[in-house]
Amino acid sequence: MNRQIRWLLILAVLAIAAVIIVPFFRSDTSHATGPSALAGSAAPVFALLDDRGASVSLQQYRGHIVLMNLWASWCPPCRAEMPDLQRLSQQYTSAGLVVVGVNEGESPERARAFAQSLGIRFPIWIDDQQRYGRLYAALGMPTTVVIGRDGNVVKGFDGALTLTQMQDAVRPYLKT
Amino acid sequence: MIASLTAGAALIVCALVELLFPGKDLYHYGWFNVLLAALIVVAVYPLARTLRALSTPRERAGFTAGIAGAVIAGFATIASGLLGPDTQVLVAAPGATERVDALGGSLVFPIAAANGASQSGVQLVRGGRALAVTARRYDGPFLLVALPRPVVSVDVSDLRGGHLTITQPTGNAFLSPVLLMQAQQVIAGMTVPYDSFAVPAEHRVVKAVLFSAEQAERMPSLGAATAAVLFDVENENEVEVKNGIAVAPDGHRVTLAGIQLLPRVFEYPAVEVISVPDIRVVGFALVLVIAGAILTRLPQTV
Repeated sequence: MNRQIRWLLILAVLAIAAVIIVPFFRSDTSHATGPSALAGSAAPVFALLDDRGASVSLQQYRGHIVLMNLWASWCPPCRAEMPDLQRLSQQYTSAGLVVVGVNEGESPERARAFAQSLGIRFPIWIDDQQRYGRLYAALGMPTTVVIGRDGNVVKGFDGALTLTQMQDAVRPYLKT
Repeated sequence: MIASLTAGAALIVCALVELLFPGKDLYHYGWFNVLLAALIVVAVYPLARTLRALSTPRERAGFTAGIAGAVIAGFATIASGLLGPDTQVLVAAPGATERVDALGGSLVFPIAAANGASQSGVQLVRGGRALAVTARRYDGPFLLVALPRPVVSVDVSDLRGGHLTITQPTGNAFLSPVLLMQAQQVIAGMTVPYDSFAVPAEHRVVKAVLFSAEQAERMPSLGAATAAVLFDVENENEVEVKNGIAVAPDGHRVTLAGIQLLPRVFEYPAVEVISVPDIRVVGFALVLVIAGAILTRLPQTV
């Protein structure tokens, strides 16, 4: 009996010691930063205005694959990427893809003039408070995020993408 | 017995003091923790002799439980002092998510509107659950304290009123228009926070220095009775531009060097993470101590 009690005491002491000490040794694993770190989390939804002044939100595209591109007119890589975004939009609209360009911090007039000058026909939203830039942990411009049909972020990219990279990013999630 | 009880009481008091007055450097000093270890030895060493001297099983059980509780609290206190990280203050931009390994989760900072209003406070998200970080929140071996601190939201537009993008290439969040004001400098004997941002569309770099209302009052040359922001505009090559320095009181637009700047000063929470004795362990230890005290006080036959 005494031996059993002694073992029970030892086990109790070890359990208490583990409870006290283990929390201090949580692994310091490295974590992804920037937009790629958001994969798997719900895409933030809030109302914005588009470049024509209409109220828009990601909610309206639930059930679609959304490729959201954060851009600004002063950003040369954003300008370079825009024609490929337009091609991607044309290529995969029938397969359920929606491309949205979210202008970060500029006026609707400036954004609209820029989009028209490049022949952009996909929706242009105006995020004058730069909220998406903060929420997607943008490290620079452009930033691209792919959102799945369930409203969760599936991929995030920092920097300009080629058309092939864009196609590779969305193709696995589209109806074939 | 007196030495055991005294040492045990001291251990409990130390644990409670660290919980109620957390974050002191003293708790991390080696000699302080050696002292706690010595108290544990003093509490435990005469235990066998004391138990033999006690007359009833109930007294012996009660005394053992009480000393066990004190020793557990002592070990939790030593663990937080020696193994726990130093106090850190996590400052992040509105809308940012900061992974904190020590907490096993992420701190999600709320979005703030341009006027500083945020819909919720900071949340600790762990295992799919969101816990609000209120003024003080004990979380296992950590205490989380929400610390409101002044930040500045800046709205920039061109001379026609067209909104312009703000970037913070060296800040916490590249695309946040909220300046966290983490750097400090001394102006006229006053320590003031400052930050900087870029306006790429106009090839401008702007330094913003924040004066609190009290500091602005002490500097009549600022011409502001409320909090104010001193803007210093340079071009992208860090060359001063003509008429590039001006003071804007909180909420007032100022035009300089081809851009209009509208600052709004508001308080936004940072989170202080303080290592403390694990509150669950100390709670369990207190239960043991109280149970021990009750056992030794109960009459032998009920």
